[in-house]
Amino acid sequence: MKRRLFCTLTGATAVAGAMSGFSRAARAQDALTQMKANGVLRIGTETAFAPFDFIDPSGKHVGFNLDLFAALGKDLGVKVTYTLLPFEGLLPGLEARRFDLVGGPLTITKARMERYRFLPPVSEGTVALLKRRGDSSITKPADIAGKTVGAGKASAQLAQLRAFTETLPGKTSIREYVGNNEAYADLAAGRIAAVGNSFPNVNYVATQRPQVFEVVTPPFGKKTYFGYLGRKDADSAPLLDVLQAALLKLRADGRLAGLQKTWIGQSIETPEAVTAPEV
Amino acid sequence: MTWQLFQLLVTAAGLTVFISAVSIMIALVLGTIVSVVTLSPKPAFALAGRTYISFFRGVPLLVQLLLIYNLLPVMGIDLPGIVAAIIGLSLCTAAFQAENLRGAFASLPRGLVEAAEMAGFSAAQILRRVRVPIAFRLALPALANEAIFTLRASSLVSVVGVVELTRTAQDLASSTFLPLQLFAAAGLLYLLLSWTIAALGHVMERRMRWGRV
Repeated sequence: MKRRLFCTLTGATAVAGAMSGFSRAARAQDALTQMKANGVLRIGTETAFAPFDFIDPSGKHVGFNLDLFAALGKDLGVKVTYTLLPFEGLLPGLEARRFDLVGGPLTITKARMERYRFLPPVSEGTVALLKRRGDSSITKPADIAGKTVGAGKASAQLAQLRAFTETLPGKTSIREYVGNNEAYADLAAGRIAAVGNSFPNVNYVATQRPQVFEVVTPPFGKKTYFGYLGRKDADSAPLLDVLQAALLKLRADGRLAGLQKTWIGQSIETPEAVTAPEV
Repeated sequence: MTWQLFQLLVTAAGLTVFISAVSIMIALVLGTIVSVVTLSPKPAFALAGRTYISFFRGVPLLVQLLLIYNLLPVMGIDLPGIVAAIIGLSLCTAAFQAENLRGAFASLPRGLVEAAEMAGFSAAQILRRVRVPIAFRLALPALANEAIFTLRASSLVSVVGVVELTRTAQDLASSTFLPLQLFAAAGLLYLLLSWTIAALGHVMERRMRWGRV
């Protein structure tokens, strides 16, 4: 009995020692040194988020993010690699150091800023409504009063839509969807009157299927921005500083605006940094 | 739905087949070991086997995959997504296969083992020549059933960054706005694959029928 206990104890100590040894080795280099040594910028992103990141009908991974990170990689002289995960896997993957930056992009919110560091915003993320083409009962956002509308579950946009409908007269019901595509499908089928999502996303859907959908202008709700984010720890700071400077360069020389025009349909005014998000 | 989209799904189905096939193979070997260990007369071995089964059978596969993918790198073990997927699937399936085999081992005719003992077989020989082959025959329908389950469970591995059949259908649905057609096609491909596994199981059952040596 004693011998067995001894074996267990030494075994456990050895495993624990090996683990801490591994993790020390893994963290010996900060993220910037690692990127320079390997010549690789590691990005984690989600591929069901057109026009930012998606798989086109020929099976190619394309979008605003791809072009933007390619430009960043060229400026920094590194290759860009992607880890493709479902949205809910992105932040855990970032914390597990599987990659150093989350694409997406994500709405810059107070809660996310507390835990992560955002790079300068690359687009506006203010919520707009998508309706069926030619639906004359909705000409401005407030016209959804009393109707049923949809939005993606747990999204920053859903929270905005809910706050907005509470200011409207009558009872406006909101249906929550696992993905935005299911919401668009229900809109096309006439089950709901409109879908609330960020302007770049609904605008892209409307340009892809102009016979089916139309954007209700102007966007409503609080002004929000989309940005990429990284870890807040000291190991990641030098890399994020470099990426921030490179992104600001793209913004200053007009390349960012060019990408917005290509993928979102218009150039979008974004600040150099969001310090106090409204949501 | 175009021919090109269907071909993309078929390519992705190839990855699904690879991950499932490798996991099913590993799980058969590992499951056999675990079930033999569980039936060991030594209490420590039996306890180890039972602990393995209760853990990997009790924790949802999705949670196991997320743990393997996101927890191990923190300890410095950096596994590529596809390796994490195969490890997760095989460890989980092995627990179920071990239970299927345990049932078969328990229902082995006692007389067969006694006959082998009388003939002078050692315990290891009895295991290898008598107990394992017969247990496999008895458990075959359940083993094939679990293999089909593994195929379907492989649709979860996109959470560790492996873009297999289901995830490809989702990706393409979001850019082509054809969710119905794409998911129907993906479902059809899964059905064809599980029929293949079922057919293989039947062939093996026929070939390993009682009395045929």
